[in-house]
Amino acid sequence: MQENFTEEFESIRPSLRSYILRMTASAADTDDIVQETWYKARRNLDSFQGQSSLKTWIFAIASNLAKDHLRQKKRWPENVTDICKEAALANPTFFGEAMQIRMTSPQGNFEIKEHIAFCFTCISKSLPLEQHIVLLLKEVYEFKVKEISTIMEQSEAMVKYYLHTARQKMIEVFDRRCALINKEGICHQCTELNGIFNPKQNVQEELAKIDLSRAAESGDKERLLDLRMDVLRGIDPFESGAAELQLHHIEHNRKVMEGYLEKEG
Amino acid sequence: MKKLLMLFLMATPAFISAQESPAATVRKTFSRTTSVSTVIKADPAVIWALLTHAADYKRWNSTIISIEGDIAPGETIRLKSTLDPKRTFKLKVKTFEPENRMVWGDGKGKRTYTLTRNENGTTTFSMTEKIGGLMFPLYAKYIPPFDATFNRFAADLKQEAEKIGRNDE
Repeated sequence: MQENFTEEFESIRPSLRSYILRMTASAADTDDIVQETWYKARRNLDSFQGQSSLKTWIFAIASNLAKDHLRQKKRWPENVTDICKEAALANPTFFGEAMQIRMTSPQGNFEIKEHIAFCFTCISKSLPLEQHIVLLLKEVYEFKVKEISTIMEQSEAMVKYYLHTARQKMIEVFDRRCALINKEGICHQCTELNGIFNPKQNVQEELAKIDLSRAAESGDKERLLDLRMDVLRGIDPFESGAAELQLHHIEHNRKVMEGYLEKEG
Repeated sequence: MKKLLMLFLMATPAFISAQESPAATVRKTFSRTTSVSTVIKADPAVIWALLTHAADYKRWNSTIISIEGDIAPGETIRLKSTLDPKRTFKLKVKTFEPENRMVWGDGKGKRTYTLTRNENGTTTFSMTEKIGGLMFPLYAKYIPPFDATFNRFAADLKQEAEKIGRNDE
């Protein structure tokens, strides 16, 4: 096991990194947690009994480390993207830096679907921590309920409860906010930013390429959340063509939220 | 053979009606007690989670306008019900036995939730509210009947818990 460990860990690392980033919204914290996971897993490898897969065991270690890291931090509000938009508009350097990345980085593209994933990362931080973890593990990283029960050290019944409540909350929030799926939705940030970063693109043509947007008319809210999850599954936030631009946005939003939540007391 | 007999008994209307009881109220001079019970195809852990996560009530329970506070041992919650939307009830959680029994109440009454795990994997949910006291006859006529609200509460809980239980693996 020892000799294969590094190889196995490296095969898991990309999904582990993206999972922790989607929990913490911090690239630096993500790398610390992933590194600590590696040390802890290697040190305790002898205690791994093979009752779950190595991947499940490693995700359990990482989840516990991330939970410890996040437990003292407040959850974000549902309108995080409104608050951060206001802060970005008031910050003269934000768009300058973003445009610089857009123009010079090989990972500086702006794509609407990348922003959909970014937006979900921010808004899902409004869920209670357990619900957030279960939702990511099940819908994005495709663990089975039984495996999540092992990772979370919770009964399968509780995992199902967390999953259901998390889904219902996200369905309600996105249905109320997201103009991509609801004409009355109050948030248009993905298309607004597309206009800034890709001024020559026809936004309707871009939207037509995205299943989530095409299915909006159906009104099937469960299905629309599933399609949103499809978008997340298809994107590695560290490796995609938009990674550097989106990580810049995430870093901005996290800093804004830290200041906002501190002020809120 | 014993198992077969048990299965047969469980399928009889008498057995089912012992657990499925629409709301009923017993009135006495100094008290009034309303009870409801229903069989839910879900694990007690799921039902317990629904009953104890205050922030989530409004989403699934059409009889609750809001609950503030933590539903935890010794805590006081502030509840607004559709029974009397203008009034906020301050209720103390007096008994809290996970996946089994919870009691909350104030000086005038108490509500008891009970969960019983059945052999066939279902759970019987029962809810009883007793209000009363020496002064009860003076204000009894101002308290609206609970039966319809209790039936709705039980039906909402059943629907939500069974939906969660159906989640695929």
